Amino acid sequence: MNSFTAATDSGGRVKGLTIVKPIVYGNIARSFGKKREEDGHTHQWHVYVKPYLNEDMSSYVKKVHFKLHESYANPNRIVSKPPYEVTETGWGEFEVVIKLHFHDPTERPVTLYHILKLFQSPIVDGTSGDGGDGKKGLVSESYEEIVFQEPTQLMQHYLTNSQPLTNEPWVHDTDFEDKIVKTLDNILDTKAKVKAEITQLKDKLKLARETIGRFKTELSKVQEETQVN
Amino acid sequence: MADVMDILDLQQPSTELTKEALLNSRKKAIFDRVKAVKRPEGMHREVFALLYNDNKDAPPLLPTDTGAGYKQVKARLGMKKVRKWEWEPFTNPARKDGAVFHHWRRTSDEPKEYLFAQFNKQLNIPTYTANEYSTHLKSNPTKWTKPQTDHLFELANKFDLRFVVMADRWDRANHGTKTVEDLKERYYEVLSILNKVKSSGDKKVYAYDAEHERKRKEQLTKLFDRTPKQIEEEQMLLNELKKIEARKKERDRKTQDLQKLISQADQQGDPAPNPPSSRKQDKKLNKKKLQNQIRPSRVDSMVNLESAGIKFNDLRGTGVSLRSQRMKLPANVGQKKTKALEQTLNEFKVDPAPPPTDEVCNAFNELRSDMVLLCELRTALADCKFELESLKHQFEAVCPGKTLNVPLSLINTPNIKQEVMEEMNVDELSQTPTI
Repeated sequence: MNSFTAATDSGGRVKGLTIVKPIVYGNIARSFGKKREEDGHTHQWHVYVKPYLNEDMSSYVKKVHFKLHESYANPNRIVSKPPYEVTETGWGEFEVVIKLHFHDPTERPVTLYHILKLFQSPIVDGTSGDGGDGKKGLVSESYEEIVFQEPTQLMQHYLTNSQPLTNEPWVHDTDFEDKIVKTLDNILDTKAKVKAEITQLKDKLKLARETIGRFKTELSKVQEETQVN
Repeated sequence: MADVMDILDLQQPSTELTKEALLNSRKKAIFDRVKAVKRPEGMHREVFALLYNDNKDAPPLLPTDTGAGYKQVKARLGMKKVRKWEWEPFTNPARKDGAVFHHWRRTSDEPKEYLFAQFNKQLNIPTYTANEYSTHLKSNPTKWTKPQTDHLFELANKFDLRFVVMADRWDRANHGTKTVEDLKERYYEVLSILNKVKSSGDKKVYAYDAEHERKRKEQLTKLFDRTPKQIEEEQMLLNELKKIEARKKERDRKTQDLQKLISQADQQGDPAPNPPSSRKQDKKLNKKKLQNQIRPSRVDSMVNLESAGIKFNDLRGTGVSLRSQRMKLPANVGQKKTKALEQTLNEFKVDPAPPPTDEVCNAFNELRSDMVLLCELRTALADCKFELESLKHQFEAVCPGKTLNVPLSLINTPNIKQEVMEEMNVDELSQTPTI
């Protein structure tokens, strides 16, 4: 009953329409430089979800649910207006579950998983975020796209009517544009390499098979001869 | 401890712990426990059963002797009168001589026919006249003469078709030796002929394959007569056969896999941007390809329909989703494959979780699909190399002093000067060892 009314309220789905909303999520962490006496915490961190483009997400996002580690007092933090972030202190890394709820209840919430990062990993593995360990702190953030496949009319309305967040230029700590281009290049480059190796392997395999066949005939020939003798 | 807890629980209303309260509550506690025959936790069932039986009584404190122990000395038999038995004569209808015997019988029972007469089953063995014999039954006079057949039927009647006994009692002095099979064969032959001729009675046709029966017995005799050594050898041979068949299957499977891989590589590799081999090589390969392509069976072509790599789900439903979901490996990709993929991504230094734009997702998925094929080709090649080596060793063992040359490009695989290497192979191929 409930979903039915919701569906009618939302005005049905818009056929053939796909709206993509790029976002950035992650955390910034700053070390105290020492272990805090009273609770042993070593870092202050913010975990956040923000739009990739300069637009107000609250036009379509109803609330963001951050689920922290269970050792925190009330680990379920719900933020219903921007900035969508939680600030805490701690000493350990864990997985933060971030759930985005939308204004239209017909659209199911989406879930992001972020490993809270406090410490610079020894090897730069090329994953999201390069930890500028300066005054800003360690940044670990990821790019993601929310894809609204045939959204409801209501949702479409929300999605297309978001206002810019600020008048200032909207920048991120990580240069995602550059990263995307580089990653894509790398992937395409590797793909060509892999293809080349495949062709090469294929040739070798053919040669190998032929040689195997040849060896087998040679072997049987020799074996026959020894048997005759 | 449980008792103490009970006491304390019961005592809670009165906060002070007096002696009276303690005594009272203890009594009550025991009473309660007796009523509710629940086995206390930790007590063994057997022990509990000793304390509380079905009567739910507490066990007596003093030894009691009511006389009803475990043993009942006297059997309590019925007090009825004994029925009368009488020594009576009887005849057995199975006997033809009408001999009279006696047995005990209850007077209350009705005089009936002798109880065991019913087990005297009579077989319906057909008969034939001399006339019938001369017209129909002279089928094989060298093997079976009339006296012999007569003797057979006489024995059949006498021993109720127990052929083994009949063969034993066969009059060898007058009628020559006959085996059980011979007897059966003749008997059923006569029976079926008589059935046909008379075309009456039961229409059941008796088929007796004497030849088959003889072979069967011979086989069994042979099986029985094997020595332990022979049995051992046979077992060994059977095992050997199994092994050979398993190996053959494995080889077939491998060839098929390889064939599949190669044709997949062909499909994928056709628009390859930079084929490393020379034109001449290409032509040669094409020829090879053609030869190879003739071979694939129907199974191969069927397998070829599905792509070598991974089939990613394309999330075409309505609603909200995350773009990165498109890069998720489908559930049918096994752990081994996933691991190999991870390693390959690492090898080529590709970000295992790239920023998921539409384009990146597509490219990344295609790349991983290719990588799966790459891994499979690599293993296939390694297998081939191994086989080549083992063949080479076999050859050297059979034919000492001579060897087979594995093409250089298959021995070590440096990427440099591929073409030169290939060229060298061609030369080597032509100079096969001559014997």
